[in-house]
Amino acid sequence: MTTLPSLSELRHELRTPVNHIIGYAEMLLEDVEDQPEPREALEATLDAARNVLSLINDTLTPTRESITAEELDDLVRSLGAPQARIITTTTALLNSDTVKADETFTSDVTRILNAAKRLTNLPEPAPHDQRPSAGFPELSKRQIERPSMEGRVLVVDDIEENRDVLRRRLEREGCTVETAPGGSDALDQLASDGFDLVLLDVLMPDMSGYDVLDRMKADPHLSHIPVIMISALDDLASIVRCIELGAADYLPKPFDPVLLRARVGACLEQKRLRDAEKDYLKEVNRVVAAAATVEASAYTPGALSDVSARDDELGRLARVFDHMATQIQAREERLRQQVRDLQGEIAAARESEPREETGGGSALVTGQRFADRYEIIATIGEGGMGMVYRARDEELGEEVAIKTLRPELVSDPILVERFKSETRLARKITHRNVVRTHDFGEWGKVYFLTMEYVEGITVRELIDQRGHLSPSATLAIARQLVDSLAVAHEVGVIHRDIKPQNLLLDEDGVLKVMDFGVARLAERTSDLTEAGLILGTPSYMPPEQLLGDEVDSRCDLYAAGVVLYECMTGRLPFEAQSAVSLIAKVLNEEPSPPGDIQDDIPPAFSALIMKLLSKSADQRVQTAPELAERLAGLG
Amino acid sequence: MAKILLVEDNEMNRDMLSRRLERRGYEVALAVDGKDGIEKAQSGNFDLVLMDMSLPEIDGWEATRQLRAQPATEKLPIIALTAHAMAGDREKALEAGCDDYDTKPIEFKRLLSKIEALLNADA
Repeated sequence: MTTLPSLSELRHELRTPVNHIIGYAEMLLEDVEDQPEPREALEATLDAARNVLSLINDTLTPTRESITAEELDDLVRSLGAPQARIITTTTALLNSDTVKADETFTSDVTRILNAAKRLTNLPEPAPHDQRPSAGFPELSKRQIERPSMEGRVLVVDDIEENRDVLRRRLEREGCTVETAPGGSDALDQLASDGFDLVLLDVLMPDMSGYDVLDRMKADPHLSHIPVIMISALDDLASIVRCIELGAADYLPKPFDPVLLRARVGACLEQKRLRDAEKDYLKEVNRVVAAAATVEASAYTPGALSDVSARDDELGRLARVFDHMATQIQAREERLRQQVRDLQGEIAAARESEPREETGGGSALVTGQRFADRYEIIATIGEGGMGMVYRARDEELGEEVAIKTLRPELVSDPILVERFKSETRLARKITHRNVVRTHDFGEWGKVYFLTMEYVEGITVRELIDQRGHLSPSATLAIARQLVDSLAVAHEVGVIHRDIKPQNLLLDEDGVLKVMDFGVARLAERTSDLTEAGLILGTPSYMPPEQLLGDEVDSRCDLYAAGVVLYECMTGRLPFEAQSAVSLIAKVLNEEPSPPGDIQDDIPPAFSALIMKLLSKSADQRVQTAPELAERLAGLG
Repeated sequence: MAKILLVEDNEMNRDMLSRRLERRGYEVALAVDGKDGIEKAQSGNFDLVLMDMSLPEIDGWEATRQLRAQPATEKLPIIALTAHAMAGDREKALEAGCDDYDTKPIEFKRLLSKIEALLNADA
């Protein structure tokens, strides 16, 4: 492996031939004092050799301990001109007739010529990218690596020679160079954009470098371009002024090639880093913007594909983000489709048999004023607990539903108190899938509940109209039902009477669960063998509820299972002619899996419903949020 | 005329310097390395030694120390010549026992004045 010579070796290699040239030239000069031709040639040689020596001494100062590969390149390159002068001069001298006769003189001049040829004949440096730091242990890799000089540079100087020197030097380093003879021309060229660096002369007749710099820094399109000021003025005040005006660096004339290269290289490198940083931030912003489009449901999968192609952390983030956003979007689309299916079912049900508001058997009549604030608009129907009316709340100016409670349900004052407290709890539930309970009141010995009026159709009516629903529409019902149960259970309210009659759907397919807390009233008063058939709804009750054991929120999950079973199959899991027979079946028999009844029910959905219908509460899905998660897993 | 021993490993330097000194009337003997230099300095009757410092075998510093250690040469004037204008070289040379010090490339007039100063002091 070729290595760079050590620094002392380097000094020796460079200076020895110079010493020889100077020594022989001085000696020969003593011999030719009276011969103008060889004297001038030797003086020119001596002059060039001293120039070489000072270039070497300036770079390889006695206190110096290390040198970079590019500094060495620069040094060797700078020796080229004086070396050429010595070679040309001595070659001409050897060919001149005046010295040809003198053998010793010729031999000595040849020694000078040979020494000059050896001048830059250093140990062969390794190719640039393989240069090892051996011999220069103090050099870091960073110093050895030559920063790329690629970049578009604008040289602004009023003196043509200066422009030319800088252009040629920078082009040799790999820069693309444009020149401008004055400030206004420079600003014109800069307007075309695309420059990475400006070398700007301070003293120019048309517009000073200070003014150009000032204008550049005030222009948002140009302020990011680094500027190196160049001037013969090397006084502190002008340097300070340039720095204050925003110059990146300062180069005094005459140009030192090593300094020029180092400063231009550093500025271009900084510009590259800044540009890379700006690009990076731009891409970060694209990911952030993509997040906003996900929120607005407007994300286009693959929109970040070019950012995803990066092989850094940002690329990884973009890939993960795209994957997640695409999944979320697909899921949202599935949900929308489910709701559309449900809306389709609702619309079809309404078409086949328009819902009629019943009027028979009402205790209250249309137009009647009730409880001093409600005007009865219509009788909606008759439930297990009493009549349901649509009414206008004159105090609030909005429509409400009024549910009157049959006298036997409210005969026990203790139960009424318990019911009131349960209703107060239920009022806390505010959720789009829960019919809001307003008040519990008594008017003329009639107990009643007022609640949010929802224009819609019950799931009971929907099933009756449609026979059964598609798994997709059923999932739309299931998700909303489970959401409502989750919030109710969270505040400690168990519904206890989930059934299709209590589930209202508006025309948009939004499900509203009615009568949270109301079933508590029926629970204690129902006698399953007699009134139970009327009050309770045993088909939707789990074994523990039928047996009168303590129930918890898992009874609502069982009921939800029955509702979903019925939605998809149009049947109940257990059907019987009498309550006793039904209870016996619920306690002892296994229902047919819904998937056996309808082919289009996905097996996982069928299995989930069977799990909800487990006779032991411990075997069921345990909580509403867990059920929500399982439903989400179905699609 | 004064006799000078030039200890120098580089042939061109030896040739150039010896010729220039001879032109000035000095008698010049040559040694090509440190060992050769010590032997010649001890055997010959020299008035002054020009000692290159970077020499093969025994370098100029060590050769100077050895010459200083011998009674025959302990007072022999020695001018150190170094190719490297390194910081501290002058102190190092004087410490090793050199009487003076000069750097390459030789500025001949300056070297001559140093040689003459030492020879005159000796005389």
